Amino acid sequence: MIEALSHPFMQRALLSGVLVGIMTSLLGVLVVLRRSAFFGDAIAHASLAGVALGLLLGWHPLLTAAGVGVGISASLHAIERHTRLALDTLLGFVLPFFMAIGVILLSLLPGYQPELVSFLFGSILTVSRTTLALVAAIFVVVLGFLARFYRQLVFATFDEDAAQLSGVHVAAMLTGYHILLALVVIASIRTVGVILVNALLIIPAATAKLLARSLTHLFVLTPLLGTVSIVGGMVASYYLNWPSGPTIVVLSGLLFLAVGAWRWLCRG
Amino acid sequence: MYALEVEHLTVRFPGAERPAVEDVSFSLAPGQIAMVIGPNGSGKTTLLRAILALQPATGTVRVFGLPVRQAYPLIGYVPQHLRFDPSLPMTGREVLHMPLAAMPRAARQARLAWAAATFGLSDFLEQPLGTLSGGQLKRLLLARALLHSPKLLVLDEPEAGVDISGEYTLYQLLERLVEEQQLTVLVSSHELNIVLHVATQVLCLNRRLLGMGPPMQVLTPQALFQLYGPTVAFYRHQHGESP
Repeated sequence: MIEALSHPFMQRALLSGVLVGIMTSLLGVLVVLRRSAFFGDAIAHASLAGVALGLLLGWHPLLTAAGVGVGISASLHAIERHTRLALDTLLGFVLPFFMAIGVILLSLLPGYQPELVSFLFGSILTVSRTTLALVAAIFVVVLGFLARFYRQLVFATFDEDAAQLSGVHVAAMLTGYHILLALVVIASIRTVGVILVNALLIIPAATAKLLARSLTHLFVLTPLLGTVSIVGGMVASYYLNWPSGPTIVVLSGLLFLAVGAWRWLCRG
Repeated sequence: MYALEVEHLTVRFPGAERPAVEDVSFSLAPGQIAMVIGPNGSGKTTLLRAILALQPATGTVRVFGLPVRQAYPLIGYVPQHLRFDPSLPMTGREVLHMPLAAMPRAARQARLAWAAATFGLSDFLEQPLGTLSGGQLKRLLLARALLHSPKLLVLDEPEAGVDISGEYTLYQLLERLVEEQQLTVLVSSHELNIVLHVATQVLCLNRRLLGMGPPMQVLTPQALFQLYGPTVAFYRHQHGESP
């Protein structure tokens, strides 16, 4: 493994994996607290339209997907308030509508698109310098936002009314949270792909929730579990010659099952 | 100056045939405990949320002379229910910390110590919320609402989900705090016996404000018949009167 790490592509993959593991996990805690697991899935699938548009026009696919994802996320909260439709109903529209647009756009591309498979199922070992720079930039934005607004976000998530009365700008907080979530999902696409990206948001936070005794524990444990899953999954995929994205997700899922079984045995 | 002035407050939900709350006006002097009564669906919760600008409404609300949004630091609010995931690993201490985030550490610790002592929270402050009883949760939320020393306290059916002894303890505590801190309190309730013993003013609401005044004047059989219909039985015991 040490020898493998001497390759620049492995160093980029490891660094990208750790950054993605930390930020997806931290936002994953809020996703689990808000019970909005469908959000990440919908944005990830909808971002396929952005990837396809980028490939068609010769733009950077992830940057284009980021534009589409952020646009959808930024408008969702306002649409929710004005239409009085539940968020999951709106997401139920967003996911198939934008994914269908993505598939139609992809059908316009000539010939076989090998890069497309890596967007669907992830390919962490092919992370380029540009993609790593994009992931790092998103990491700085996410960490900066969370460091500044973490308490307000948790307050608005736990009790919107009380948060508003305490002077928290709830609507702005939730729009900011949705935009960050879209950025994090886009940043994670290279790691596990559009299809599996939601696993990085949900599984580490769900596993930590089984162990944590307080919110502070939850916010400390989740990034640890997320990073272990990504780095462990990368190492396993390297030795077993398995696809990296699915291996990361399976390892994360096995950790969840092991902790769940341990909790069940302890209770029994 | 009034603690609370409400003028022509109307709430209309999109698509509804008639307003949920219609043209409600009243004012409260400082130090009063006003209780809003009315049948289910009469608009009690909607009225309280509209007063706090948590619900879009037309009309005017002033708290100690200020528009309500500017007066938020003067207001404490206890919702009827707190919808949270019972498996959430969040402790009572973490709930109390949230509104105090901007406060210096020493001041925050002092307020937490006051809350723990006043509301008897010490036994369950480190426990996850999902393990607390209805009464413990209400005490915690009441403590959270009072941590920043508000002047107006708004409670939405504080007895919901609390057993009789918890209800009694809660209102005893509330009466003591009103006396000690010169609070003005606006409460919605469906417990007429509590209203009779605790309230200084009663507001009878059924979308519109049907009457307001001291409980002994307002809670007449005729008023209750008008408010709740013929099925309500109301037993009023004066202190010292044999049953």
